[in-house]
Amino acid sequence: MSETRLTAPEQLNNATGAQLYEEAKRAWRAGAATLLLDLAPTRDMDSLGGAWLLKIAGDMRRRDGEFKWEGHQEAIADFMTMLEPALQMKPKKPPKPPGLFDSFTDTLVNFVGEFGEFMGLCVDTLYWTAVAPFEGRGFRFNAFMEEAHEMGVRAVRIVCLMNFLLGLIIAMLSAAQVAAFGMQIYVADLIMIGFARELAAIMTAVVVSARTGAAIAAEIATMKVQEEVDALRGMGINVVQYLVTPKVAALIVVLPCLVTLGLVSGVAGGALWGVLVLGFRPAVWYQQTLGAAYMSDIMQGMLKTFFFAIAIALIGCHNGLRVRGGSRGVGLMTTRAVVMDIFMLICIDIVFAAIFYYWLE
Amino acid sequence: MDDIIIKVTDLVAHYGEFKVLDGVSFEVKRGEIFMIVGGSGCGKSTLLKHLCGLMRPTSGEILYNNTDVAVMDADELAEMQHGIGIAFQSSGLFNSMTVGENVAMPMREYGNVDKVLVDDLVRFKLSLVGLAAAQHLMPGELSGGMRKRAGLARAIALDPELVYFDEPSAGLDPIMAAGLDDMILKLKRMLSTTFVIVTHELDSIRMAADRVLMLDKGEVLFCGTVEETKTSSIERVRQFFERRPDEFITQGNLS
Ligand SMILES: Nc1ncnc2c1ncn2[C@@H]1O[C@H](COP(=O)(O)OP(=O)(O)OP(=O)(O)O)[C@@H](O)[C@H]1O
Ligand SMILES: [Mg+2]
Repeated sequence: MSETRLTAPEQLNNATGAQLYEEAKRAWRAGAATLLLDLAPTRDMDSLGGAWLLKIAGDMRRRDGEFKWEGHQEAIADFMTMLEPALQMKPKKPPKPPGLFDSFTDTLVNFVGEFGEFMGLCVDTLYWTAVAPFEGRGFRFNAFMEEAHEMGVRAVRIVCLMNFLLGLIIAMLSAAQVAAFGMQIYVADLIMIGFARELAAIMTAVVVSARTGAAIAAEIATMKVQEEVDALRGMGINVVQYLVTPKVAALIVVLPCLVTLGLVSGVAGGALWGVLVLGFRPAVWYQQTLGAAYMSDIMQGMLKTFFFAIAIALIGCHNGLRVRGGSRGVGLMTTRAVVMDIFMLICIDIVFAAIFYYWLE
Repeated sequence: MDDIIIKVTDLVAHYGEFKVLDGVSFEVKRGEIFMIVGGSGCGKSTLLKHLCGLMRPTSGEILYNNTDVAVMDADELAEMQHGIGIAFQSSGLFNSMTVGENVAMPMREYGNVDKVLVDDLVRFKLSLVGLAAAQHLMPGELSGGMRKRAGLARAIALDPELVYFDEPSAGLDPIMAAGLDDMILKLKRMLSTTFVIVTHELDSIRMAADRVLMLDKGEVLFCGTVEETKTSSIERVRQFFERRPDEFITQGNLS
């Protein structure tokens, strides 16, 4: 065990600090296990000098060496008391990103944990929406109305526009395909059946998840970050009852209405093309469309929308409540909510398609 | 070098139509701890934002090292702001970075610090505020007081000659608040930094302040040393520093 003694300069600044570091390097290359720094000459020290001092101590300890100092003057006593913990401590390494195997097990554990949380939220929401109001435990009707206005009335324009344009596009596309067979009148059937069964529901749900799902996640995440959620808890108010229930209930009521409007606008979009470009008389197109409108198709399309509504609202709330960190977390969770929303919409749709097209045929 | 670092003359400031500061004038001497006090909502934070060029005054002069902050263009302003440190009322740490990265940010962005030294300089600054062990934590994992100190560490990252600090001790326990005052005094001595501090704490004024500015309804009520407050001829100043409540509150006719 060899100990090397270094003498600190009179002024510890960037230049002299770098020099001292070189000396220290030479010392540990020569195999010194302990550095002893004599601080007696030092009268003055600036930030960069202090940084070099920490660098020497840190590098020494990273090599499992020892760093000691002695005899500092009164003038730098304040510095030395404040630096002492950092000089005594081996510099911490920044936490490593997890390895492949770790990350697999972590993902699994996280997924199971998150799934559990989500199920908990579902059960709570079910209770507070469907049971508690009838036990006289209250339902925030005003909040419900506000949410319904925000999610429903204010989304009417964009939902109608998107469905209208989609109807127009599908009419263009399919009319061009069947033109050779002279079957263009059946485009009216196609549009009616397509929108009733699938398109109105999916298109509207996608628009709503981008609009409302993202808004729910961002709002709740921000509330969580700014400790508003904790404030609610602290007042003894149930977060699910206060925040989640009005949103879920509002979306369950509002989404089917929006889908109905979407259905009408989609069919109108198709009709516009049929009448103006394909040249059918309005009455003919109208009759053809009515002939293809089966209540069973419409009901099947509508049934899905309740599940869509529950999925969008709950996924938004779930992601909002899971936020970690600050502003960045809010952004991440909002994105995640929309991605999960759209994924869930497709999953629900597949289940419904399987049930209605195969099992019930 | 000039003895006076900031000289404000007849500063008037508005939020829209609403007048917040009405003819404020004062001077800050180089190397002192200058505290701004006053009731809640009287415009202290607004004054600070004007001093560091985040807001433009309606009229008046703000001389910083003899150049007027109020008429600087964007480049000059940025230049000036690189030379000062600001710690905000709600810390203003970047949530997506660790504490260490927060402190390293100004060094990397415009600090001219040797790359090999950044990490050690960060540890140096963090030790000055007693957070050496918190380098790799995220701001969300800190307590309120630790966040204030981390904000201060970022403000002093580049050894500015002037540090603005909005309410350092709001929300801290008395021990921690006293520790922070002590730390500011040490920093002033070690780095010979000028501090302009907004505060509500009488204790920290008595302990650390060289001079005090008292604002009331957007006007300067008092400007001088702590001793002078005791003999001030203005009733409201003595009331504030002796911590007496307003008359109508003692009479209990709040309703
Ligand atoms: N962005 C803003 N827009 C409009 N008015 C504002 C704005 N920020 C502050 N004000 C008003 O300006 C006045 C002064 O605000 P300021 O934040 O400067 O107060 P303060 O002295 O820092 O108070 P506190 O001690 O509570 O922090 C207040 O009356 C406030 O209502
Ligand atoms: Mg303020």
